[in-house]
Amino acid sequence: MQPATQAWWFAAGRLLGTVLLGLGAGWLFGNAWGGLAIALAVHLAWVLSNLFRLEWWLRHRSYADPPDSGGVWGEIIAQIVRLHRRKRFHKQRFVQLMRQLQRSTAALPDGVVILNAQREIVWFNLMASRLLGLRRSADLGMRIENLLREPAVVRYLASADYSNPIVIRPTGGEDGYLSLQVAPYGDGQLLLLVRDVSRQMRLEAVRRDFVANASHELRSPLTVISGYLETLAQDPSLEAELQGPVAEMRRQAERMTSIIRDLLELSRLEETDEVVGGRPVDIAALVSMLRKDVLGRPVHPGNVTVSVESDAQLIGDEPEIHSAFSNLVDNAAKYTPRGGAIHIRWWVDAQGGHFAVTDTGIGIPTEHIPRLTERFYRVDPGRSRSTGGSGLGLAIVKHVLQRHGATLEIKSAEGVGSTFTCHFPPARIALPQRAATATG
Amino acid sequence: METADLSHHISRRFNEDLERVRSKVLGMGGFVEQQLQKAITALVEGDSTLGESVAIDDYQVNNMEVQIDEECSRILATRAPAAGDLRVIVAIIKTITDLERIGDEGEKIGYIASRLATMERPADKYREIKHLGRVVSEMVHDALDAFARMDVEAALRVARQDRLVDEEYEAIQRQSITFMMEDPRTIRRALDVMWVVRALERIGDHAKNISEYVVYMVHGKDIRHTSLDDVERELRTRDQTSNPA
Repeated sequence: MQPATQAWWFAAGRLLGTVLLGLGAGWLFGNAWGGLAIALAVHLAWVLSNLFRLEWWLRHRSYADPPDSGGVWGEIIAQIVRLHRRKRFHKQRFVQLMRQLQRSTAALPDGVVILNAQREIVWFNLMASRLLGLRRSADLGMRIENLLREPAVVRYLASADYSNPIVIRPTGGEDGYLSLQVAPYGDGQLLLLVRDVSRQMRLEAVRRDFVANASHELRSPLTVISGYLETLAQDPSLEAELQGPVAEMRRQAERMTSIIRDLLELSRLEETDEVVGGRPVDIAALVSMLRKDVLGRPVHPGNVTVSVESDAQLIGDEPEIHSAFSNLVDNAAKYTPRGGAIHIRWWVDAQGGHFAVTDTGIGIPTEHIPRLTERFYRVDPGRSRSTGGSGLGLAIVKHVLQRHGATLEIKSAEGVGSTFTCHFPPARIALPQRAATATG
Repeated sequence: METADLSHHISRRFNEDLERVRSKVLGMGGFVEQQLQKAITALVEGDSTLGESVAIDDYQVNNMEVQIDEECSRILATRAPAAGDLRVIVAIIKTITDLERIGDEGEKIGYIASRLATMERPADKYREIKHLGRVVSEMVHDALDAFARMDVEAALRVARQDRLVDEEYEAIQRQSITFMMEDPRTIRRALDVMWVVRALERIGDHAKNISEYVVYMVHGKDIRHTSLDDVERELRTRDQTSNPA
């Protein structure tokens, strides 16, 4: 501040000097005002020339040195230079930061695509261009659906429900799987994350194949063992103390057979994603068959009631639906004592179709309910083994329901009973075409 | 000033219309690509349900064609586009016809696949068909990419690939004839396979057509029934003469 004030005093002094000089010189020549006018004009010209130099330098600042002026002009120029330098410093830091940011996103192992509200591509990193076949600069501003044309992707982007990623097999390219996930942010902008999941999918396929193959391979030797055990058990010359063990071996062999059967069924269910289409399944017929099955068991609850409240049919894969429903009814029968009751109910409302099995059995402690559909999950290991279940029944139910877009709801109270309800979406329900509409 | 604003408004709406139709065409293309892929998978892996589902789903392609066609007519009637915009509409109308045909060929392959799935499979597991199928689906994919990007270079690359498909077609035909002569019991299957190969070859032709429409759309030049080398030479000289201007 100090030199600047000095400079201003100096400038004021100079102006005063000029005025006095002009007045004095003019007075000597007999025209004081004329002298003053000339002196002021000279001063003005000097100021103008300084202004001109300043403006010229500002215009050509990048390749010219600042004009060498003293006084106030020098101060102003020094200020500008300082401002300019500070700005350049900030800009450089900013550019560096930007570059670092861009480099780090570019180095991400996942593909990243930024889309605006119109779902046009704003920016994408190297990995995205490699995975999706996008082209630098040429594809900016292009609508993403124009390039990622898979119907599943188009549906996903239009759905506005981005909670789960989708896995696609890109057409036209090599065999592989990509997982896409959208994260919305800001003003309707979308961040599209792309990952190559071919390896995971392959591992998953290997695991599935292994389970399927292993079960298949185990089945043949087991058939032989069961066959011999059966003949042995029926052999009248079998010693008395061996009869018990042989009977137990037969029971266990049967259990193993049912486990293997369920494992095979599960791996078959896993192989495909969803049942598309399917045929109408007559629930009334299915339910009455299930009831007969329960009553046909050697030990069964005395009271099995059925209420089919709608003649609407369920669209899906009949063997799968049958397997899921019979698993639920079987479970109810297994865990309900002889004097208990089972109620099977089918009804349709605005939310879709519902199939419920209620029993007055032993019930399930609350903490076990979330894990019930896991494979081989046992609420009480000792007890359920004795019932001869495979431990896979509810896993099968879950998979079948998933494949039909349905959900399983479990309500239970220990010692009171349980209710297993399957909720099917309305799209899966076929309302019967009434004869009334045809005749009148 | 008011009129200027209005005309700006109209042209923006028009652009949106055009862009929407283009997106619909590409959406239809995506569906057709998937159908084709499924049909080939159904055949190669002997999956009769998948083949059937392809044949059943073809109606969706037809619906899309009708819908896009209507929209194009509406744009022609209400906006009376000229020059480049008109070419886009004309190219779209032609493209959807070819896409619909590709869908039909896919349906045919799906149908045959579901029938072949019940028969004994050849030792080579349809390796040739798998390969030809991949080439052809890549052609369709690249043609649609070229359509989306208005990329003439890529379009010409697709058009040139058609020759490869024709050669492959010949080769599989010769091979099938050999099989039939060696063992007459395979004739039934070989005939079905020939239908599939024929369908794939036709799909290649349709993909080539689509890429030709891309050239027409961008340059206003009809390159059908002309040799590709001539086309390329002409486009190049045109670029050279137009660039300095």
